[in-house]
Amino acid sequence: MRLTALSGLLLVGLMPQCAYAANLYAGHATAAAVCSHCHGIKVPSADAPFPTLAGRDVDYLKLALKQYSDKTRKSDIMNAIAGSLSDDDISNVATYYGRLKP
Amino acid sequence: MNTPINSLPKSILFSLAAVFLPFGTQASSDTPNNMHKLYEDNCASCHGSDHGGFIAPGLNSETLKGRSPTALRTIIMAGSFDTLMPPFYGRLSDDEIRGLVKHLQATPKLTNPAWTIDDIKASIKVYVKDESTLPAKPIYEIDNMDNIIGVAARGKYGRGSGSKAVFINSLTHKQIGEIATGTAAHIIDYNPANPRWAYVKNDTAEIFKVDLYSMKIVRSVKTGFNGPGLGVSRDGKYIMAGSYVPHNAVILNAETLEPLKTFELEGIDPDGKMVSSDSGMIIGTPFADIFAIALENAGQVWVVDLKEGFPVTKIENVGRHLHDAFLTHGGSKLMVASYDDSIVTAIDLKERKIIKKLDAGCVPHVGGGAAVEVNGRTLGFGTNFGDCDKMVVSVWDLDKMEVVKQIPVSGGTESPAAHANAPYVAVDIISKDRRARTIQLIDKLTLEVVKTLDVGGHAYFPEYSADGKFLYVSAGYSGDEVVVYDSSSLNRIASIAMESPAGIFSHGRVKYMTRGLSPDEFENASKMKGEK
Repeated sequence: MRLTALSGLLLVGLMPQCAYAANLYAGHATAAAVCSHCHGIKVPSADAPFPTLAGRDVDYLKLALKQYSDKTRKSDIMNAIAGSLSDDDISNVATYYGRLKP
Repeated sequence: MNTPINSLPKSILFSLAAVFLPFGTQASSDTPNNMHKLYEDNCASCHGSDHGGFIAPGLNSETLKGRSPTALRTIIMAGSFDTLMPPFYGRLSDDEIRGLVKHLQATPKLTNPAWTIDDIKASIKVYVKDESTLPAKPIYEIDNMDNIIGVAARGKYGRGSGSKAVFINSLTHKQIGEIATGTAAHIIDYNPANPRWAYVKNDTAEIFKVDLYSMKIVRSVKTGFNGPGLGVSRDGKYIMAGSYVPHNAVILNAETLEPLKTFELEGIDPDGKMVSSDSGMIIGTPFADIFAIALENAGQVWVVDLKEGFPVTKIENVGRHLHDAFLTHGGSKLMVASYDDSIVTAIDLKERKIIKKLDAGCVPHVGGGAAVEVNGRTLGFGTNFGDCDKMVVSVWDLDKMEVVKQIPVSGGTESPAAHANAPYVAVDIISKDRRARTIQLIDKLTLEVVKTLDVGGHAYFPEYSADGKFLYVSAGYSGDEVVVYDSSSLNRIASIAMESPAGIFSHGRVKYMTRGLSPDEFENASKMKGEK
């Protein structure tokens, strides 16, 4: 396990930057690389204290991510992770999760 | 937290609130005892009960020397994306995480704890007292028990409700049963003499005797603290289990799980040093009434005769840091992988001596191995998970015991799957980047990689169904599903949801001994019975 390479996780954006809005493929890539570790793709672990994202309202997901990103909504971990997402990333990943059936 | 799907909108606020409310908010004083308990309850099943590492790195004052406590806290909180390390944010409080980091950086690797034959005996739990009350045949629709595929689901946190052995009908790709294992399920082995019994071992060294007809746990026993070693004798009467912590192995009565004899694992390593050793692979063979066990650190293979007193024949100098192995030639030959000298050592179980040491890429992990018959030759396939300049899968001629080819693949590999009726040998690429999503397929005839499947998640542990028509792959970590492909067209045909699936074990393995061989090989082995 390369712990050192991963320890900068909260500080570094891992997702590909995408120029066009609501690209499901890019949304999937972001979800897989960033969100799914806690939230899962379809559902989070039964033992995890994280909410399901799949099937949620797309606008709600966008709003929540933007609020975490600009810190109007406080969470140590989500402020850091959402803060590393571009507006396009947020749009892509919200659309991807919103269209997924949990 | 479980969010009911049909009440999602209402539960949004509630769900998100859960993110801010850590589970472990009870005040915990920062004493070494409390921290040790926290470690045992959350970390030990993967990182080792003795802090020495198991499927994950050792966490002790030596391995964590000089590491930034902030960086370590971040890993515990957020998990490590390219590995099985889950995020403990919300499960452990910030104080607990800080306390753990301090505790780990101050704690040396612990000495080997005791777990004696009496401890093993006392740990037996009986869930079904009278086995005659169990159904006489499967309570579900299945033509042949060999069509059962068992998946070791680790569960996201290596313990909890996601940790279980899941059994699937490989003709319909539907789940037919599951048993909860408490901590991550690791190995599933089947009784060669009676198709109803399976044995599941978890990462805290508990073994569950499972009745596959009713899909129920009948008995369980705790054989140690950590360690995956598990084998079943050809007559189905004995099982043998080995541990990393403590350094021992035990032979159990397969029916009652009563321990019959324990073995302290120690011996002189290839460098002449007397060492206490982890248990590597344990294997029963259709060839004889024996178990073979690899002593990882001592570099020895012991052959235990299943007769009065369970006498041991020790084969020394097999290699430096042995791990897993596979059988060939009716089970009379054993191919043992040795990490540190990057070889696979062929052992003759009849003569009980080394035949030859073969090149095996770098840090070979044969993961159950694979052998296929091609144009009159029996070829063995060996995966290796080391980080090298040149990543290869080794192919050996198992009759001549020589290297035939080293096939370039795109990364480190952990487990090969093969079947007499399937055209490809499948290997899982485990390099910790995008390549981890892939399985590469090697054509049996040309010995070239002909296709790369992007399975998604972290794809590993490929396994063919007993009829060879389907290829099952765990897409674990955040993938959280087992994906099924058609073995010939390589079209994706099914997905079965579960938490962090890992090893996949076809019941057909009892028939073909080593994956890729035809059942005829097994028949030949049966004819050789008595010859020893």
